[in-house]
Amino acid sequence: MTQHSSRPGLNRRQLIKGLGAASLLPLVGGITPFAIGGQHAGQVVVIGGGFGGATAAKYLKRTNPAIEVILVEPAEAFYTCPFSNLHLGGLRSMHDIAHGYDELQDRYGVRVIHAMAEDIDAATRTVRLSTGSELEYDRLVLSPGIDIRWNALEGYDEKAAEKAPHAWKAGPQTELLRSQLEAMEDGGTFVMVAPANPFRCPPGPYERASLVANYLAQYKPKSKVLILDAKDNFSKQGLFMEGWERLYGDRIEWVGLSGDGRVTRVDADRLEVETEFGTVHQADVLNVIPPQKAGWIAERAGVTDDSGWVPVKPDTFESQQAEHIYVIGDASVAAPMPKSGFCANAQAKVVAAAIAASLESRPAPEAYWTNTCYSLVGPKYGISVAGVYRVRDGVIAEVEGSGGVSPANAPETTRALEAEYAVGWYNAICQDTWGTPV
Amino acid sequence: MKRFIRLAGMPLLGLLLFTGVASPGLAEESFSSEQVNLMASACANCHGTDGRLVGSVPTLAGRPAAVLEARLLAFKHNETTDATIMDRIAKGFTDEELTALAGHFAAIDPVDDDAPGSEQEPQQ
Repeated sequence: MTQHSSRPGLNRRQLIKGLGAASLLPLVGGITPFAIGGQHAGQVVVIGGGFGGATAAKYLKRTNPAIEVILVEPAEAFYTCPFSNLHLGGLRSMHDIAHGYDELQDRYGVRVIHAMAEDIDAATRTVRLSTGSELEYDRLVLSPGIDIRWNALEGYDEKAAEKAPHAWKAGPQTELLRSQLEAMEDGGTFVMVAPANPFRCPPGPYERASLVANYLAQYKPKSKVLILDAKDNFSKQGLFMEGWERLYGDRIEWVGLSGDGRVTRVDADRLEVETEFGTVHQADVLNVIPPQKAGWIAERAGVTDDSGWVPVKPDTFESQQAEHIYVIGDASVAAPMPKSGFCANAQAKVVAAAIAASLESRPAPEAYWTNTCYSLVGPKYGISVAGVYRVRDGVIAEVEGSGGVSPANAPETTRALEAEYAVGWYNAICQDTWGTPV
Repeated sequence: MKRFIRLAGMPLLGLLLFTGVASPGLAEESFSSEQVNLMASACANCHGTDGRLVGSVPTLAGRPAAVLEARLLAFKHNETTDATIMDRIAKGFTDEELTALAGHFAAIDPVDDDAPGSEQEPQQ
């Protein structure tokens, strides 16, 4: 039995929800009843309830409420990677970075199913769920985020991650790393292993190092942060280093690729790592941010390439390998756009518009994407990078003269203002994605 | 050149406001509402859905089009001293697009009654 065929049941449930609201607001009438007379404008299944998926579901409904939208996401609460570094630094609770799906269901009429998508058949346009049921789709949106490439770094597998957390998917891993940091004795070394490009959230490791240093400076002042990096340059590097020197002196040490910073072996039991040229570093807390790839379901859908990521058509983010499957967020190859929550949200809106148009056999509107990413070097010290992107000559390109990073050597007041805006940014993007009240 | 056109356009804008004709109508003629909606949705990531969020980042919904337009163009053309990030973002849009965005947000009711369907109105 497919859930597609049970759609009338869904509509009844939606109608009941809709009626409650309709009695309060006459305008609502248009949302669900459209679908009841069989006039629905198509069924879209969205897999993944993060920045990309939740935004796609919401904006599909905003664009055309007659589209049936089903969101598949195992978790009832989504913990954001943005601001999870604040939890590690003791500045925010996990509760403060958790977001649910009430707005999508109650306000926009998205059907949310808390299950895992286990398989996708692009030929029959069906998704199989962990519950055993199947969903049919006219269009499919995949926003599966990342998966870890276990064992791509010698010694780093799922078991090792229980001792040397990656904390690169927010949730239990974040809490584990925080508890290790709290348990660390003063005088200890927090060692972070940073990956080569591409990976989720390019400035993330360096914000993390900053907020860990901020915590150590206050509570364990004899402790150090050591970053062992597989590359020689990183996002907002000049700004981070300027901030580290201003706020933390020599507490943070960064070793790049050419300084023998690339880690080639991890021994999670001993909290040891070995670099390319054989230097062994001993950690007291070991955070390994390993190589990554597109979330597993993208492989099942047959849309990944040899790189492990998903090539997409630039103007619509439809897969280059499978028709009617749109892939957004970290899983997609969207360079020069970074793998950021903001970009996932921006791509979702382009995809929602493209799908709504394609279901009516109209051309998609011209795509625009922006990226705005704040990092906190300290609680009152923010820096940012921005970008505006369009399709030029068939590829995604940053608009010339736009974007870039915060100015170097800016006064403290500018950094403080950007730290305030970072919080405003977080509140806004979470409100826009999940409707979380501020 | 662009700067000249923009300055030359200012009195026209003033005239339109004076005569009670909404300036955004003129600007949006060259963009479909679908196109402007998509362009404007990019602003929501920092300003909240429909530009309605109140917080450290300024609210956009319901502010006068002329004010928003002047601000956006000033960001783009480096005519403000208080920009932190909007100067970098505004440069990614043409003057005409910024004018259309100003008109879009000016037309949105800043009060969100938090009921299903209430956000659809400005989209139509």
